[in-house]
Amino acid sequence: MVNQADILRRTMLQAAAAAGFATLAGPAAAADPIKIGIPVALTGPLGGVGAQMRRACEFWAKEVNAKGGLLGRPVELVIEDTAGNPATTVRTVQEMVERDGIRVITAIVASNEALATVPKLAEWDTIFVSGDNGDGRLTAESLVPNFFRANVSGPMGTRAVALWLRDSPMKNFYGLGMDYAWGHNSMDVFAAEAKRAGKNFMGAVFSPTGTKDFSTYITKIRQSGAEGVYLVLAGDDNNAFLAQAKQYRLGDKVQMLTEQVDQMSINATGDSAIGLIGSSRYPFSLDNPVNKAFVAAWQAEYGRPPDLFEGDQYQSCKVLQAGIEKAGSIEAAKLRTALEGLAVTSVKGPIVMRACDHQAEQPGFIVKVVKREGMEHPVPEVIASYPADRVTPPCNKMVYDD
Amino acid sequence: MRAVVCAAIVLAIAPFGLPLFAMTLLTEALILGLLAMSLDLMVGYTRLISFGHAAAYGLGAYTSGYLLLHTSLPLPFAVLAASALAGAVAIGVAWVCTLATGISFSMLTLAFAQLLYAVAFKWTSVTGASDGLAGIPRRAGPFGITMFQTKDGYYYLVLFCLLGAYAFCRSLVRSPFGAVLRGIRENEAKTLSLGYNTRLYKIAVVAVSFALGGLAGALYSPFAGFANTDLLFWLFSGQVLIMVIVGGQGTLHGPILGAAFFMLLEHVLSLYTESWALFFGLIFIGFVMFAPEGIWGLLTRRVRA
Repeated sequence: MVNQADILRRTMLQAAAAAGFATLAGPAAAADPIKIGIPVALTGPLGGVGAQMRRACEFWAKEVNAKGGLLGRPVELVIEDTAGNPATTVRTVQEMVERDGIRVITAIVASNEALATVPKLAEWDTIFVSGDNGDGRLTAESLVPNFFRANVSGPMGTRAVALWLRDSPMKNFYGLGMDYAWGHNSMDVFAAEAKRAGKNFMGAVFSPTGTKDFSTYITKIRQSGAEGVYLVLAGDDNNAFLAQAKQYRLGDKVQMLTEQVDQMSINATGDSAIGLIGSSRYPFSLDNPVNKAFVAAWQAEYGRPPDLFEGDQYQSCKVLQAGIEKAGSIEAAKLRTALEGLAVTSVKGPIVMRACDHQAEQPGFIVKVVKREGMEHPVPEVIASYPADRVTPPCNKMVYDD
Repeated sequence: MRAVVCAAIVLAIAPFGLPLFAMTLLTEALILGLLAMSLDLMVGYTRLISFGHAAAYGLGAYTSGYLLLHTSLPLPFAVLAASALAGAVAIGVAWVCTLATGISFSMLTLAFAQLLYAVAFKWTSVTGASDGLAGIPRRAGPFGITMFQTKDGYYYLVLFCLLGAYAFCRSLVRSPFGAVLRGIRENEAKTLSLGYNTRLYKIAVVAVSFALGGLAGALYSPFAGFANTDLLFWLFSGQVLIMVIVGGQGTLHGPILGAAFFMLLEHVLSLYTESWALFFGLIFIGFVMFAPEGIWGLLTRRVRA
């Protein structure tokens, strides 16, 4: 699987290089491709998430090109691995901008990669439409004019959980998060929301990215005496934790809550994830015509329904597409104006890219992992959904007024 | 000497002929060259093998980054201040590390670098922890000089620093001070018995080496606009050591070539394979076994033959 992906990546790079030489060699072809930069983490702890995001971009590009491309030009993805390292990401994007003339990027995986990249966007005259980056600061204190977030942010995921929490009988909560930007940021928001709901937030611990043994953390959670634990974990770390939590029967004593539930980690951990409650950025079972068409096409291509990051990244690609079509160009100034206030009917229903802080307003969903007859793996089932105006924070903010 | 002047001229006219991205790579190569050259003072001339030279680089990078983000200091002054701080810290570090010799010295340098790494990871208010420092500006220089804000202007600043540091190191190793360093390299006990306080000399060379390594780091963070804990990681210390050895230790210009070679190879290999480090490892083994004098040694051997 990994090898195949590597070969694909190399082939694409070589194809991109060949295309570059071709451009140098002869006069520009009738329809120059629209190049989209995909600086995505394919290796390292976030590689699994990155693979989903890349797949969504490839699916989208194939779909667009089958219908004659964008503005009559084919879409070409330039995919490079950042390994989840912010310094590599900045260098990779710089290379895309200076060598390949790329002016639009998407699919950066980690928030700290995005936070390192956004200050440079003005210098590069490049638009970045996020498909995953959750850190609240990106649309608050760190907002730059060329950044847009089409996906659900960390605070929005946490907010959905908090809204659900208000109706829940549990009183005492503890937290476990990954020790980097996203983990701390989401935990802060949860702590504030829990207090506002009249609950008792007893504190949190943070594990370094790449932690394999969570036993000490599990002990701390048990000893805290909390009824619920809020988890902000992703990728391999999340899988390792869930597997170990099952061994320790943590779920019997404590209700596990999480910012986001994704199918990939459910598949990886099997029954360990059953009972987990959390928000979902994109549950594939959403009942609307756009989503049904998307899921059917995806199922035909990959033989399984789309996962959370695939759905969210696909939505970002569609927002980008609508922006480019409205602008009639990929020039940063025009594309920025087109994206501001843009309304799109997405897989999650109608969404709006609001102009004030470049965050897309969209609904929030709470799911519970359940075992369903006839399905190989447990699946997330929507148990509550909240409208966009309750989930999206006030402009340029990470915390909510009510 | 003539070769050095030729190289300087070629580098000075490079911005007129090279495309944008090649200039980015070249600027980074020169910065790494400066770092590798600073380590050569310790490794090549004094046989002080440091496994923690990333400490100098990271210290410089974080200091200049912090100064540019949080004070109104012009860029050249922030860079110089960062370099001075790295040199000053090195005096204390060297005082401890030179209590030991040989492999113990190397281990102490490694320990110190890892200590700084841990500090950078935890001291969120100053270093930004795992986020690092992002959006480091290239502030306009003193007296309204805006030259360093442009890409080419910044390249010339880096080139100027590299050439200045090279001239300084060259005269340093040819001075009586340099002779004592070589004495320590060849036979420290003998040098000591000749009446030289070798420990003081070692502390001095570590301080100079760190100040120049700090200068390289201080130039890097406004160049990349970014500094994070990777700059302090032990893996990076190892890479710098490899640059010095592959380039040709004890020559000053060899490590600069080594740094450029390392960067170029990483760049080309990583286009074709994810496991580029494996191939670089093989090349490194090849150098150690068949060309211990490094790239520069190979070049001059060819000329002599």
